[in-house]
Amino acid sequence: MTCGYQSDVPTVRSLTLHLQAGNILCLLGPSGCGKTTTLRAIAGFEKLSAGEIHLQGEVLASTSVHLPPEQRRVGMIFQEYALFPHMNVENNVAFGLYHWKASDRQARVQAMLDLVGLQGLEHRFPHELSGGQQQRVAIARALAPKPLMLLLDEPFSNLDPDMTIKMRKELYRVLRQTQTTAILVTHDHEEAFAMADQVAVMQNGVLVQCDTPETIYQQPSCSFVAEFIGQANTIPGIIQNGKIETEIGTIPNQSDFESQSRVLVMVRPDDIQFTPSESGPGRIESRQFQGSQTLYSIRLKSGQLIHCCMKPIPVYNIETSVIVHVTTSHTILFPQPALS
Amino acid sequence: MVRHIQLTPLSFLGIGIATLLTFPLLYVAYSAFTGDLSQAGNLWNTRLPELVTNTISLAIGVSIATLTLGVSTAWLITRYQFWGRAFWDWGFVLPLAIPSFVLAYVYTYLLDRGGPVEQSWQWLAGADVHLPSPYSFTGALVVMTLNTFPYVYLLARAAFQNFNLSFEEAAQAMGATRWETFFRVSLPLIRPALVASMFLVVLYVVSDFGAVSLLRFQTFTYAIYQQITGRFDYQSAALLSLLLVTFALVFLFAERWFRQQSRFYQTSGRVRTATPKPCSMGQNLAITLSFLMIFVAAFGLPVFLLIQWTLTAWTNGEVGSSFWTYIGNSVVLSATAATAALALGTPLAYLASRFPSKLHIACLQGAYIGYVLPGPVAALALLMLFTDVIPFLYGTVFVLILAYLIHYLPAGLQAMESALQQVNPNLEEAARNLGSKGFRTFFQITFPLVRKGFSAAWLLMFLLCIKELPATLLLRPIGFDTLAVRVWLEASEELYQLAAPPALLIVILSIPAVFLLSKKNWQAG
Repeated sequence: MTCGYQSDVPTVRSLTLHLQAGNILCLLGPSGCGKTTTLRAIAGFEKLSAGEIHLQGEVLASTSVHLPPEQRRVGMIFQEYALFPHMNVENNVAFGLYHWKASDRQARVQAMLDLVGLQGLEHRFPHELSGGQQQRVAIARALAPKPLMLLLDEPFSNLDPDMTIKMRKELYRVLRQTQTTAILVTHDHEEAFAMADQVAVMQNGVLVQCDTPETIYQQPSCSFVAEFIGQANTIPGIIQNGKIETEIGTIPNQSDFESQSRVLVMVRPDDIQFTPSESGPGRIESRQFQGSQTLYSIRLKSGQLIHCCMKPIPVYNIETSVIVHVTTSHTILFPQPALS
Repeated sequence: MVRHIQLTPLSFLGIGIATLLTFPLLYVAYSAFTGDLSQAGNLWNTRLPELVTNTISLAIGVSIATLTLGVSTAWLITRYQFWGRAFWDWGFVLPLAIPSFVLAYVYTYLLDRGGPVEQSWQWLAGADVHLPSPYSFTGALVVMTLNTFPYVYLLARAAFQNFNLSFEEAAQAMGATRWETFFRVSLPLIRPALVASMFLVVLYVVSDFGAVSLLRFQTFTYAIYQQITGRFDYQSAALLSLLLVTFALVFLFAERWFRQQSRFYQTSGRVRTATPKPCSMGQNLAITLSFLMIFVAAFGLPVFLLIQWTLTAWTNGEVGSSFWTYIGNSVVLSATAATAALALGTPLAYLASRFPSKLHIACLQGAYIGYVLPGPVAALALLMLFTDVIPFLYGTVFVLILAYLIHYLPAGLQAMESALQQVNPNLEEAARNLGSKGFRTFFQITFPLVRKGFSAAWLLMFLLCIKELPATLLLRPIGFDTLAVRVWLEASEELYQLAAPPALLIVILSIPAVFLLSKKNWQAG
């Protein structure tokens, strides 16, 4: 699909995604990369300018078809939940069950409230609920009409960090229990990894990589993905004699890059260690204590900055000269972009 | 692939409404330039210089006077703690409840030769001293100033309340005196509010008919009325109308332009606002005395006189059954017009806020044309259109309601627009996402959420219609009088007591609208 707000500058270009029923897919990317636009196109709030969207064999949208949102059976949870402020919890959840028989409707509302653990709060109004409770209502409301698919737009961005982790588990449980197919938009890779069967990374309206969380982490397809899903060092090197020569030492070459080609080596901070040494080529520039580990930033002679994680004890002072070792045999290589 | 313009049935409805509201004016423009233009030349040579001078000098005079009055009262009320401050805070909005023609009629009595003011002045200064007649520039200036200074007061008060005190403190830290700080920092910083209030006041003055007609001061609106009723010269009236509307439009665009040029940003983050300073005994007395004078002149005395006259009229048995008919006429007419305005305004406001395409915005802007259309001009437009094109409807209530719609929909539309903008479109999207169609979404989600704002809009339009004078005078069916028309007719004959009961009723009815206005967010920009 391709779509956007202006015809000449599509926000999302030639995006192709396939999702198995019952699976959870995370759209991951920095703000402004087109994740939300993609979601809104699937929900029917944006029109496609090219491509097609299918759901269980039915065409939801194409260049000639645009099924209105109310006919798509695609549920959506909005970033600010969009709970109707003039209706209580019960009526919010029942809103999508307009055509149901009254008795069925009541039973369904109760079942949904049980599912998200909101029994007894039926008559509260949205402003009388905490952030987490509001989100539970939003989930119950979206799932009540039995949508074929659920869309979630940054569902945790309005919660404080403790609540986020709690609600993430809760949402995961609900989605699995109901076997709901879901697409979740987020800019937080940890969230994506925790929730998703598949992660789709987007950049500037283009899909860069779509894989399982493990593959995305271990085999990012480009340096953008590598850096976006966690601190990664990308160090320039040259392949010589079947090995990669870099500023921090020689690393075995497992790729099929030709000899003499210039490459970028991706090394995660966990895979780099250092030892203090008077004559070492690196110098500790900053230190960030993170609890179970400490993140050091080391400036090499060439000016390259690399990050590495060390045990919190002992503490090394800033300005200490160090020697850096790569402790992994497992590295990812990217072709080095031509120097301009 | 071009993102095509979506033309829904609602769009066509919007286009239809916008056409209905703008067409009469276009028709005036058309007919002003077709036909015999010799009359026009005559008009140009004889009346125009006087009209232009009078209208512009009145606008300038009232601007200066209201600025002085409005800014100084707003400044004192936001910055100082004195006796009865809480009362004055809303007390200075009350004069807006008195329509200009009611204030004018009270002042023709007060300022007339041998009237109470001149008598007391002669008692003080000697028997040969005469005051200027109310039927003059001075009379119009006094009445219009007292009638409109609350607009400046409201806008200046809001600006001072949101004023970041740090600017003044910075100026004083650099050695500026209090006066220098006020004139070189505080006033320039609230300039957008001052310009916006000037715009309101000038537009009010040039489009006012009630006061200038009773004070027999020749401005454009009064001249247009005279051309229509006295000489049946529609073409000259149309030419004058076009001139007036052009003037208002130029002024409108100038104000927009200026507002864009002078967008002052208060520093982001926390705004430190002023805590009112306590006053000494002398200051308290001085403020109370001057505030009391302004309040008595603009509200207290007129209302007192109206009550007195009404009581006299009542005891003399001059309030007959026809009075109740006028009330009925006014209420039914205004309620119908306000309801129709709400019905027509809703699609326009909805389209512009939810699907802001160029077409929809243009429709909305078209509806705002009434904003620069003085009452006599709106009336003339419909008069010409209906006598020429649909004569069988002429002289019916329908034409009158249409005039009210054109004239007062803009006031309500503003309230409706802001109510709609406050509803997060996500809510409507969520409803549709849950399988609800557009119609149900509007009535179950959008409408309940804007009900308050829409009620306020209805009330505002209702009360404006109750007060409407020139269009009603010109377009009412024969024998169909409203409260406002009765006040004007009796006051023109100087039958003060007979004019008082309907006038007092209008003032009382207007008070809720005044409170709506004072609660509105008056921030300019």
